[in-house]
Amino acid sequence: MGKKIVVDPVTRIEGHLKITVEIENNKVKDAWSSGTMARGIEALLQGRDPRDAPFVTSRLCGVCFSVHQIASSYALDKAFGARVPWGGTLLRNLAMGAEYIYDHVLHFYHLSALDYIDIMAVAAYKGKDKALNAVKDKIVGLVKTKDTFPLTPRYKPDEFCVRDPDMVISAVKHYIDALSMHAKARNMGAIFGGRTPHYQSIVVGGFTQLPDVNQVAMFRAMLDEQAKFVNEVYIPDVLAFGTGPLFPLAKIGLGGGHYNYLSYGAFQLDKAGKKLVFPPGVIEGLNPADIKIGRFNQKKVTESVKYGWYKKDGPKHPYKGKQVFDLDKRRAYSFVKAPRYNGKPMEVGPLARMLVAKNPDVLGLVAKGVKPGVVARHAARAIETKLVVDACYKWLDMLLSEMTKPRFKIHDTKHWAPPANGTGAGFYEAPRGALGHWVKIKGKKIANYQMVVPSTWNASPRCEKKLRGPYEQALIGAPVPDPDNPINVVRIVRSFDPCLACAIHLIDPKTNEIKKFLVE
Amino acid sequence: MKRLLENISRRDFMKYCAAAAAVLGLSELEFATKVTEALAAARKKPPVIWLEGQDCAGCSISFAGSLNPPFAQMVLDRVSVRYHETIMAGSGHVAEAAYHKTVKEGGYVLCIEGSIPTADDRFCMVGGRSFRKIVKEAGAKAAAIIAVGACATYGGIPAAGPTGAVGVNKIIKNKPVINLPTCPVHCDHLIGTILYYLTTKKVPPLDKIGRPKMYFGELIHDNCRRRSYFDNEQFLTDWNDPAQKNWCLYQKGCKGPDTYSDCPVRRWNDGLNFCIDCGAGCMGCAEPGFYSEMSPLYTAESKRSRNIMARKKAGLIPPQEEVV
Repeated sequence: MGKKIVVDPVTRIEGHLKITVEIENNKVKDAWSSGTMARGIEALLQGRDPRDAPFVTSRLCGVCFSVHQIASSYALDKAFGARVPWGGTLLRNLAMGAEYIYDHVLHFYHLSALDYIDIMAVAAYKGKDKALNAVKDKIVGLVKTKDTFPLTPRYKPDEFCVRDPDMVISAVKHYIDALSMHAKARNMGAIFGGRTPHYQSIVVGGFTQLPDVNQVAMFRAMLDEQAKFVNEVYIPDVLAFGTGPLFPLAKIGLGGGHYNYLSYGAFQLDKAGKKLVFPPGVIEGLNPADIKIGRFNQKKVTESVKYGWYKKDGPKHPYKGKQVFDLDKRRAYSFVKAPRYNGKPMEVGPLARMLVAKNPDVLGLVAKGVKPGVVARHAARAIETKLVVDACYKWLDMLLSEMTKPRFKIHDTKHWAPPANGTGAGFYEAPRGALGHWVKIKGKKIANYQMVVPSTWNASPRCEKKLRGPYEQALIGAPVPDPDNPINVVRIVRSFDPCLACAIHLIDPKTNEIKKFLVE
Repeated sequence: MKRLLENISRRDFMKYCAAAAAVLGLSELEFATKVTEALAAARKKPPVIWLEGQDCAGCSISFAGSLNPPFAQMVLDRVSVRYHETIMAGSGHVAEAAYHKTVKEGGYVLCIEGSIPTADDRFCMVGGRSFRKIVKEAGAKAAAIIAVGACATYGGIPAAGPTGAVGVNKIIKNKPVINLPTCPVHCDHLIGTILYYLTTKKVPPLDKIGRPKMYFGELIHDNCRRRSYFDNEQFLTDWNDPAQKNWCLYQKGCKGPDTYSDCPVRRWNDGLNFCIDCGAGCMGCAEPGFYSEMSPLYTAESKRSRNIMARKKAGLIPPQEEVV
């Protein structure tokens, strides 16, 4: 039996996550991922006006909020029989695109970068660049006052941490620049979304704000600034680190996992929905030399609650199963359920999307020796940000031409009233991965509401077959030479961009009501 | 003074102290100590602990979105963020140690995001401990307490769920709690409140339910640019119709007549837009009744909405006087 160490809380993520690892011979031998907070969002939607759902589910996560509004609206669009006008879809996509750009930049610089650099190396910068020297003075100034919070305390930088003063100081400058860039990207989203976090304008049937040409021009100007940052700063930084000083981590494939990947597909590029920015597909057991993409079939999804704080049941299709809350269950260790596809745990997110899309840039990196793992995840995230930026330009052009039409529409007002009965499923790709919302309406009210979100896939605990979840599996074999300094553990977990508030939903523990859900 | 001390030797410093002490009638040691203390105090940034309970991190993200003043300036120059799960470098025991040390020292500004479950402590655990206990513990030695966002103030959306979620003032009862509702918090409200406290060392004047009057003193309805359409009962029913674009959003569930906040004046995201301008209406997120009493959000069928119309019909919401 190796030594067990617990990282709780895992910080610089969204939500409350506890990671336990067992260390033997300086390596992770086993791992457990636990979600430790629950609110019961699905439960509180029961009996509500269905049109509340996009607004309420947005609050699942304040980091990637609009994805829930959109997935929820998609599910309701189907249940209501609403046909969203192309203008409404374009506006939804633009709001969502802004969120992708902000979210990925935030994740790389503010939630992850500190794991890969020794920030104090800035003191050794000898260059003449004025802006970089200002950064040096700032950090050295903080050190002098003996108050470097929140940059310290930290895990001690290990042998993989970048110490080259020139690289570190530009990374720190970009960390600071990115703080205003992500705020500006969210402002860009607010032009159509109303405000952020938590957009207001995405509703069943479409959108609430008729845009004007000034707003389109403003969005475009702000997008130019974002595009410049993504193309000239974010992507070059990720590639410089990943193929430079962090290449040893990339080569050993730190944080690999099961090598199963799933994407639902998202982001319509044409009215018919035939062309998508992210195509759907499944990879069961990646062979980089010969990637086989399977067709996603939602009937193959099951959810296990064997190790969750829910009464014994399943595994079943998530919408047929019973999930009854049980806080005292033995051997349970998480509020997160364990979704499986074809019985297998699946990684979702940027790396899954880029592999399913057979993106040439990502496959090029893999060919160069970047094994799927932490470095590949960061690279895939940066590369897909550019795809979203490019798509935003196309959507703006299409929106403008749509706006010139005499009957420009953004909302299906005919289908605004809830149907007496109905069901609908909405699939989307959140920045963190495959997202599904399911709604069942009875008597114009929500009879059941279910979500399987990206971090439920990634942060899942074990299932009946004792197969570890993606975080857990990715941790196996990670070097942890110093148990007091498990920096590789947090690197791996953070590379998935965890969102635990999203991952956890509960059924009413008071009534212990059994919820059944059937998908058409 | 700082520059001076950096440029002089210890020997020069003691000489300076002796001369200054003689003038002020203090002992040399006494004077040197006072100077050092004052310097330390001037350099020491006020500590902040930020706790997250049943939250979505939306308030943290809102805070991080401030451009003027820049968020980087707030967290690096103005305050010392000792504990904040979403931004701090350290994890696990390293993070916990920073928290405990700061609590032991006391005198920090405590920001709490997210509600607190009361049905069972296990609904929210951080570092293996119940969030409810952490809030009590951190509250006891805080110099000021700010409940950030709808969940931390009055329970917000989680209050409608099964976990018995409540706001901070239901847990910390013996100290004033500054309530900054809205879902999420407006970064101006938060930064302004922190700076107000740091500048005056006082809690800003609060209304009956703990909200700073400077932000929550006026009804949204009284500053709404769609107000004249409400007065004339021109209500938007079709979002596609350019003719209706600026009409009142009452029929779409707007709770502006029941909600106190400066949103219409301050607006959101650097003044770019806000809920009512984007056509979705006010969902009442600055009020204790949010979310349950505001639901259904997008129609005029809630008790609140019907009450608003009843008051209008009874002449209790008179038309706004025309500005001459």
